[in-house]
Amino acid sequence: MHAIYQNLIAMDRWKLILEGLGNTIIIALGAIVIGTLIGAAMALMRVSGNRVLGGIARGYITVIRGIPMVTQLMIFNFIIFAPTGMPKLAIAIVSFGVNSGAYCAEIFRAGIQGVPLGQTEAGRSLGLGRAQTMWSIVIPQAVKAVLPTYTNEFVVLIKETAVASYIALMDLTKASDMIRNATFNAWVPLLSAAVIYLCLTLGLSSLFARLERRLARSDRG
Amino acid sequence: MIEVKNLRKSFKGLEVLRGINETIAKGEKVVVVGPSGSGKSTFLRCLNRLEEPSGGEIWFEGINICDPKCNINRLRQKMGMVFQQFNLFAHLSVKENITLAPTKLKIMTPAEADEKAMQLLNRIGLAEKANAYPSQLSGGQQQRIAIVRALAMNPDVMLFDEPTSALDPEMVGEVLDLMIQLAEEGMTMVVVTHEMGFAREVGTRVLFMDEGQILEQNTPKEFFANPQNPRTRDFLSKIL
Repeated sequence: MHAIYQNLIAMDRWKLILEGLGNTIIIALGAIVIGTLIGAAMALMRVSGNRVLGGIARGYITVIRGIPMVTQLMIFNFIIFAPTGMPKLAIAIVSFGVNSGAYCAEIFRAGIQGVPLGQTEAGRSLGLGRAQTMWSIVIPQAVKAVLPTYTNEFVVLIKETAVASYIALMDLTKASDMIRNATFNAWVPLLSAAVIYLCLTLGLSSLFARLERRLARSDRG
Repeated sequence: MIEVKNLRKSFKGLEVLRGINETIAKGEKVVVVGPSGSGKSTFLRCLNRLEEPSGGEIWFEGINICDPKCNINRLRQKMGMVFQQFNLFAHLSVKENITLAPTKLKIMTPAEADEKAMQLLNRIGLAEKANAYPSQLSGGQQQRIAIVRALAMNPDVMLFDEPTSALDPEMVGEVLDLMIQLAEEGMTMVVVTHEMGFAREVGTRVLFMDEGQILEQNTPKEFFANPQNPRTRDFLSKIL
């Protein structure tokens, strides 16, 4: 009991945790928005059939996926955005977003290409254009198909944000680590952080699972 | 209505269509038969450019549809197509399947499209399935809905690509019955099929294709009773 008091209550340490949690959530949410937008654009570029656009997307995906997240984060912080004086939180959001974009791109591309070609042909044969067919027929089905993997990407992203401490950003992990340093107790702060991460990821998974069930309406035989 | 001149198509060096010349008049029901791999599906799919021809010309209602400047989407609105695998839009209800194209293309208001869809569904006796999804329907029901989905665009010609080949035997009849109705109403039809009974009863002309060419064509009566080409005879002897 004393340890819990010392680590979470005394000196308002829970506020530190809360602040860290806030930053973790902001980074994850911001990054998933950016990642989804970049991913959608890259996926469409890859399936566009245009060599130049497809090549750009492929290059982006290869480079981003081939470099560790921590390294990318530090490159963004200490090289690319170093001269701009941009707040660390914004840098983190962009870095994680750019990183997640590459993974989202592959998820979305697989989803789009997983929709049977016959669906596209049926749309085109009715006189719908390429874009109309894409938007009204292929993408709605692809969205449904990629939802589980997309959820997974979001969950991975939340956990990945823990490396934000490498650029001295006060996220949930950093906050618990700071408490550990101050109290010399590793158990309470780190396990608290672990439980919070678990709640976040579980909550998110069940939220998406519900969405998935709703979208599965048309699959029921 | 459709005029095909020296149509050629190759896939990666493999010549699938080797110079097809054919004229299809309004109101005709042309049935295309032949062994698998003979190019008959490719021929049909070239007619609305789902397959890009490698050479030759296809004229539809006075427009060369192979001309890159032609508006293929507009032409396709007048050419309904029915696929072997039905290809109903899996994420949309039956009614939405029918109304999607007419409303997206602004040919009908949503209310008009709805009315048209219900009228078509009534016609095939599937009005109570309007809000069902394709996966809840039998193959025969799906294919009949695919047919009326194409009809909702008021096409001038209907292209059928082996419409009964993916169906369980007991469902072939309901689909053929609907096609016969269409034929009786005067719809121009081009049908690739293995249903020789349909070819005999409904066709105004039967084309026999093999190795990317039309080897023989005749009225169904003559075609089946009196095949000229040895390969036609060989083909018919195997399937009849």
